[in-house]
Amino acid sequence: MLNCKHASQLASQAMDEKLPFWKNSMLRMHLLLCRSCTNFTQQLVFLREASRRFRNNLDFQLTDEARQRIANALKDK
Amino acid sequence: MTAGSNDLNTQMWLEEYGDYLFRYALLKVKDTHFAEDLVQETLLAAISAKNDFSHQSTIRTWLTGILRHKLVDHFRRQEHEVIMTDLVDQDEEDNLDDFFKTNGSWIDKPDTFPNPELAFQQKEFWKVFQRCLSGLKLKQVEVFLAKEIHGMSNEDICKSFSLNPANTWVLMHRARLSLHKCLKTHWID
Repeated sequence: MLNCKHASQLASQAMDEKLPFWKNSMLRMHLLLCRSCTNFTQQLVFLREASRRFRNNLDFQLTDEARQRIANALKDK
Repeated sequence: MTAGSNDLNTQMWLEEYGDYLFRYALLKVKDTHFAEDLVQETLLAAISAKNDFSHQSTIRTWLTGILRHKLVDHFRRQEHEVIMTDLVDQDEEDNLDDFFKTNGSWIDKPDTFPNPELAFQQKEFWKVFQRCLSGLKLKQVEVFLAKEIHGMSNEDICKSFSLNPANTWVLMHRARLSLHKCLKTHWID
């Protein structure tokens, strides 16, 4: 039986690649019985969605002015 | 992802990588103008050193490396302690004692998060999210941004950051645990 530490590792890995069959089965079994890890797994999806929105958030992008200023500085290089 | 001939078209760098570099700089210096200056300095440095670019890595990673050096210099000048521990601690050891008891159970059990859509509409949420990302170690931020914000494949991440797959899992797992904990502390509770 997996403990939560290992289950959370597998849950994180599963966000990025398909787990081998037996690892995936172990994770699913753990999640069936463990509310905390199920919550954590849902929060991994939350983090992914938040990251995607963060990318599109204009507060975290160069403003047109800044972009122009940098472009000017780079122009003659 | 190997670098094609277009990659050395320096005029495209600002367009392609400007926001990425800005976001990374902003997470570490928090001052918008300073972050903009760092993007400019990074691109200037990159352009004058473009012949040094080795096609082992992607342009993005190479530019990130230049920016990282600029950040490290900046913090050295300020004798910033946090960043120094960042540097020594680059190879994330598999130590998760902050999150799990010795028997592998959670120290602080994850609860359900409130509705994501509601969170994403709140300006306050984004402040906290930014703050939590800023709190990650340099390597973690880099890998997390590459993965979650730029959708780089694991293979490319390993190659670009000279990591083996196991290191990448450890870094991502740690970054996610840290973000989760930070959001819980500063936004939920």
